[in-house]
Amino acid sequence: MVEIIFIVPFITGLIAFFVPKEIGRPLLVFTGAIHLVLSLFLWIKRPVAYFSDYFAITPEGLLSLLVISLLFFLISIYTMGYLEESKIQSENIFTGFMLLFLSTMTMVTLSDHIMIMWIAIEATTLTSAPLIYTHRSGASLEATWKYVLICSVGIAMALLGSVFVTLAMDIGQVDAPLSFSALTQVAKSLDPLWLKAGFVFILVGYGTKMGLAPMHTWLPDAHSEAPSPASALLSGVLLNCAYLGICKTNKIMYAAGLNDFSSTILIVFGLMSILAAATFILKQNEYKRMLAYSSIENMGIIAVGTGIGGIAAYGAIICMIHHSLIKSSLFLSSGNILLGYGTRLITNTGDMVSRMPKTFIAFFSGFAGISGFPPFGIFIGELFIIVGAFRSGRYVTIGIFIAALCVIFAGFSNQIMKISFADFEGTIQIKEKASMVWPQYILLLTSLIFCFYMPDTVYQTIVDAVTAVGGGLR
Amino acid sequence: MILNPVDTILTFVLLSVLFSFGSSRLPMLISVVAFQGIVVSIVPFFLGHGMTAGGMTFTIGTLLIRGIIIPMSIYIAIKKVAIHREVEPIIGYHASLLCGLGLIVAATYLSRHLNLPSISHYTLLFPTAIALLVTGMFLLMARRNAIAMVLGYIMMENGIYLVGTTFSVRARHIVEFGILLDVLAGVMIMAIILQNIKRTFDDVDTALLRTLKE
Repeated sequence: MVEIIFIVPFITGLIAFFVPKEIGRPLLVFTGAIHLVLSLFLWIKRPVAYFSDYFAITPEGLLSLLVISLLFFLISIYTMGYLEESKIQSENIFTGFMLLFLSTMTMVTLSDHIMIMWIAIEATTLTSAPLIYTHRSGASLEATWKYVLICSVGIAMALLGSVFVTLAMDIGQVDAPLSFSALTQVAKSLDPLWLKAGFVFILVGYGTKMGLAPMHTWLPDAHSEAPSPASALLSGVLLNCAYLGICKTNKIMYAAGLNDFSSTILIVFGLMSILAAATFILKQNEYKRMLAYSSIENMGIIAVGTGIGGIAAYGAIICMIHHSLIKSSLFLSSGNILLGYGTRLITNTGDMVSRMPKTFIAFFSGFAGISGFPPFGIFIGELFIIVGAFRSGRYVTIGIFIAALCVIFAGFSNQIMKISFADFEGTIQIKEKASMVWPQYILLLTSLIFCFYMPDTVYQTIVDAVTAVGGGLR
Repeated sequence: MILNPVDTILTFVLLSVLFSFGSSRLPMLISVVAFQGIVVSIVPFFLGHGMTAGGMTFTIGTLLIRGIIIPMSIYIAIKKVAIHREVEPIIGYHASLLCGLGLIVAATYLSRHLNLPSISHYTLLFPTAIALLVTGMFLLMARRNAIAMVLGYIMMENGIYLVGTTFSVRARHIVEFGILLDVLAGVMIMAIILQNIKRTFDDVDTALLRTLKE
């Protein structure tokens, strides 16, 4: 019974709307714990879904699921402390939608049917929109409006793409279930024209949700206006969920022998995202927006890696896992900074190294990790992507890639130095509670451990996830 | 060539598309969207895909939601907030109309070059679907009034619904169900945001929403 893993948070989410905050907060952590246990159970047992037409356990789904569970559990612990410090009106709505959001994202990772995948991804938009509007300000309203509208239109494109894929089945006279796994097997007999059209629309649609440029405009607003735990979830998990949709469709393209077509498009969109991030990160004056642009950059890196294929696809999955772990820790730390300094502007912060030393450690090592310093995983992932690009002779691509990464690093480090070491006159408004720094440490530590020691089953799952696109460590 | 019933009613939809390019008043636009919603939900009846009792219920449900519930709720929304009823165009009405004409020509031209066996009897099906889709996107981009934008979104979904339910026989109900659910929930969320925009800014002109940039 695989489905129970998203039914549980759905039910507790509904309950959370009607209980006072003394119960709501522990409920969040409790559900996170159950979810983590259940997803570990899925890893060990690999059971078959009850509705096997619609849901299935796939390697890439399992990887995302594990990341979601771990992240949500740690974020829920952080949220306990965060909610005490920040004054959020109608907290039960916040916790309720956090849980519903978890439920819908879990559903994305498990769905195998093209339409169920689409429904689940659209549902993530609807359940996360109220989270962005938590602060009830004009700016957060604008961010929510942009998010709902742009993502709904994007997702509508993805629906059109999904319909085109079914059309490719009709014209190719294929009789198979409408699931990704079944379609990958019969991909050769699908009509190539409509399959290509379907892929383009699905890429644009889910790419909007994933934050690929030029459809990324909602992302910095939404990530900066949402409360930090929600930003951490949006950036760390939601973007991966959208990527799953693209990744699975890309597998069909590979199986159909249309990988040249899909690779080129993925690489172009990926490079555009990295370049867009490089342009905007340089003159960014808000730290949460800066982190958001860094997410766009990383999604670009993942898209490029997936497009290149081979060892680079392996690198892309590594980047995806580590980006989730590190970026969510950064967003949680940014929540501490926001509560401490009471501002989002970089110029009004400073001297974090002595004012908020615990947060500083988390924030600075997170920065080192996300900008690709060894020994963190992003470094390894990017290295694999670069090696893969050289192997397949894409010199121009990788030239742009490396140059843009350098620019981003320069811009990013400049801002981080200001936050950490610049002079600061005011006072810090909160104390650094243990529950508000330990989750970040654990996230970063997990990322670090995964670089040096990866359990065989995890390694095997990653390899399984990328063999379909010619990936692996060979 | 003898026109069949599907093409006949779709002609009206195409006309309504043109109409929506030129209309300046919100209540008018709402009735256009309602009309389109009704038509796209009854088209599958005429296609002879073999109606089951379940399919029938679905179609009637869609008809109710698309044709009546959603337009009514939007109508009530504008009555309640009593905002001025102009769509506040970025591109003027005459230019919009010209775009609309060009769009219909292009869609018809395109559909002649596609190989679609399942709908080859219905000349207007594909052009109408494309026209609805692009018109929706046009309204989203070229109108500043938030309600006009929501209507554009619904029109776009109508177009996709037409594609989804008529082009492919496969998995029709799950498509219908999914779209229905999402449109309903999406419009509800948008309506809530609209009310909040109205309350915060005292207007639904999206030009007011421009503090977040870059």
